[in-house]
Amino acid sequence: MRLRFFASALILMTIAGLSGCRKHAEAPKADPLISAYDTEADWNDATHVLPLSYQQAQGKRVFYQQCVWCHADSTPAGPSNRSNLTPNPPLLNDGATLNAESDEFMQNIITLGGSALGKSAMMPPYGKMLSAEEIRSVIAFTRAIAQPPYKPPAQPASQYSAK
Amino acid sequence: MSAEEMGKVTNRTRLVFAISSLVFLAVLAISPLKDFSREWKQYKRSYLRYAQTRPDTKKLVADYRPEIDQIWLPAMNNVVDRCTTCHQGITQASLADPSVPQPFRAHPPIPHNVRDWGCTVCHRGQGPATEVAEAHESTLAWEQPILPTRFIQASCGTCHYSDLPQTPQLTRGRQLLGELNCQGCHRLPGIDRPTMLGPDLTNVGTKLTREWIYKWLKEPRTTLDKDGNVTVNGYEAEEEPRMPKFRLTETELRGLSAYLSVQKANALAPYKIDPRVVAAWSKNPELVSQGELRFRQMFCSTCHSLAVTRAGETKLIGGDIGPELTKVGSKVKPEWLVTWLRDPQGYLPHTRMPRYGWSDEDLYKVTQYIAAKLTDSDLLTTVPSLGQPTEEEINLGHRLFLEKGCASCHSIEGLNPQKDFGPDLSAIGGKNASELEFGASKIPHNLVSYIQAKLQDPLSVNAAARMPQYNWNQADLDAITTALLSMKGAPATSALQNLVVPRKEVGFHPTGAFAEVYERYKCYTCHKFNGFGGDLAPDLTYEGSRAQRQWIVDFLKNPQTLRPTLILRMPQLNMNDKDAATLADYMAMVLQHPAANPAAVDAKQFTPAMVALGKQLYEVKFQCQSCHTIGGTGGYVGPNLNNAGGWLTTAWIEAWLKNPQALVPGTIEPRRNFTEAEVHALTAYLMTLRQSIKPQKTASVASPRAAAQGAGR
Repeated sequence: MRLRFFASALILMTIAGLSGCRKHAEAPKADPLISAYDTEADWNDATHVLPLSYQQAQGKRVFYQQCVWCHADSTPAGPSNRSNLTPNPPLLNDGATLNAESDEFMQNIITLGGSALGKSAMMPPYGKMLSAEEIRSVIAFTRAIAQPPYKPPAQPASQYSAK
Repeated sequence: MSAEEMGKVTNRTRLVFAISSLVFLAVLAISPLKDFSREWKQYKRSYLRYAQTRPDTKKLVADYRPEIDQIWLPAMNNVVDRCTTCHQGITQASLADPSVPQPFRAHPPIPHNVRDWGCTVCHRGQGPATEVAEAHESTLAWEQPILPTRFIQASCGTCHYSDLPQTPQLTRGRQLLGELNCQGCHRLPGIDRPTMLGPDLTNVGTKLTREWIYKWLKEPRTTLDKDGNVTVNGYEAEEEPRMPKFRLTETELRGLSAYLSVQKANALAPYKIDPRVVAAWSKNPELVSQGELRFRQMFCSTCHSLAVTRAGETKLIGGDIGPELTKVGSKVKPEWLVTWLRDPQGYLPHTRMPRYGWSDEDLYKVTQYIAAKLTDSDLLTTVPSLGQPTEEEINLGHRLFLEKGCASCHSIEGLNPQKDFGPDLSAIGGKNASELEFGASKIPHNLVSYIQAKLQDPLSVNAAARMPQYNWNQADLDAITTALLSMKGAPATSALQNLVVPRKEVGFHPTGAFAEVYERYKCYTCHKFNGFGGDLAPDLTYEGSRAQRQWIVDFLKNPQTLRPTLILRMPQLNMNDKDAATLADYMAMVLQHPAANPAAVDAKQFTPAMVALGKQLYEVKFQCQSCHTIGGTGGYVGPNLNNAGGWLTTAWIEAWLKNPQALVPGTIEPRRNFTEAEVHALTAYLMTLRQSIKPQKTASVASPRAAAQGAGR
């Protein structure tokens, strides 16, 4: 009797000890529903919706306040000022033009204005109005919606995946 | 067993002892193995391996700590967050790229430092947990699962009671809660309760027929078309109408319509239009078209929309401050309409409709136009014949009016207003799943699912719910959910109380002669004063600094001169000289900005040389024409400057050029680095620009959005 009790207690303890090694539930899955604040429809194809990161979403907010009037063909208020300007400002999703410019150049031209970098003086400086972080976020938004897609300058490729 | 046997060491005992020792050894060996393979330790090792693949391996490895990392914030309700144990790269700027695998990515730049604020304050979840599932998901012991990132703005709202530019979703949600009168039945912190939620129904029997009330209650113009869009009278609308759909039975509809149609407690005497005007116009074939012309000239469309069919497509054109009027001729009784237009406050003391100085002729023409054109003969065809209301129906309606909570939003003289008819929602955002009633629904048992299910279909979680039916699109549903999740109730400790950023109290309630005119014309319906009022039209808080007095007077008497191409424009108020002078004097005295000091600038000092320099700066150096128009050339973004010298004050232009955002926060004109001399030269040039004020069809296409931000002026 005692022996059997002893043996079963041992077995139970072993099972209990081993069971701790089992993996727990998987990490939560990504949310399938994404609201309009953190997405932007591809300008060339409205059915293609691009998800935005936090920084890109902040950039979208600044873009639709400050930049949309000249750097898009339609604005929340209707007509755009873009066709009115010579030289024509690039569309913000114009990857063919903007992908070639470095983040540093983009940061400078937004901060200091066009004339400071030998471009049109029609581009005003925003350095006293927007914070450096806000300007960075606008650039991040530009990169997110670029067509053809923006590829960041080469970094050591990562073959890594977590776990 | 005897005592002697107990002491004996048999072979059997040895065997048992040997086996059990081996098993114990095995168990002891498992435990360090188990410890080695703990989830967080695996992440620690993965991070080290990952750091080897990065260009800044040295720094990443130097910052690496092998133990459990914990953020402990004793002052903040004892937050203990071990999230950074696995989320190790959270403060490493070089790991910000989205290609960096989670959980190692850096946190996006936000105004708060992770080390000072912890993680669960915003993201919820279980801070002390060291396993993925325990940290992120709800379990029985820990009931607050992680907040899905699409609602993360709710966390900003738990401390920031005022609206932030970075949280559009939260702001929209709070706005919807207010606009849809949710505060009529629920207690919602920070959502202001206006004086009037729904219209006062004391005399509704003088305005509407029983049949119309029946139809309205049955289907308060909210319907979903086949694509799921909200439509008003069959036309697609952007905003959800305030009156939601109550699920009423036929008997209930008959009772309520009977009760409301007899509400005439203190009816106004109908206004009689001068019989000479009627005699002169009633036979005129131009009557209706003249009425339509006046309707357009008065800019009723700024607040009221009409359905317009163009190229086979019907949509609502006009503002949404007042009700949509496409079928109003079939809705209201004609004698009520005349009395209403004559004196809206006489019928509804709190209405936002201004009291216009209509002449009898205008009143007659416009009401005849409405009765003739803005009608729909099919509107009431689906309503059964209701007949005269019986005593029984009226009594039933009276009872239902209180049972359904109608008196939460609508008042009727003699009835006590209902308060807190629905549940108190001031702490809804912090509720645990166990505190919620899920009924028979199959939704996941968590707060977010509950809120969304309840909003979409109140009956799905509670078959006896009294909450009416709303129709939301996904974005609005998420916005409202975000706003509700932000309401976590009063902070638990006084230490947390210090984190709350209170809502800015806004109000502008002047007294004296100005107040009388201000109330009569309801200026605050569209304009803002010190943060109080509507946002359709420019903010007038500093109008006295901005515009010259004579310009204000001229404009008030004929508001059609500014932005002639806009649909939503200042209505023709038919203002007399005395009212215009009262308003202009008050603005010049009180609505002043401290930065625009008239004494600091003297226009007489401007020389022709300065003007020439200013013109050159405007056109060449700064190329202001990219956004502003002068003489027909230039951009559409900023206001037209053709009449800058006849409109703006010198002090305002100077202060504006130095720092636009100081005068109008949020204006889109960027602040520049002008020198003092450049500011004077540009001001001198702009002050020379003059144009007589008369309506022009070719002027700027200023945007309503820019106008709303005060930038379009």
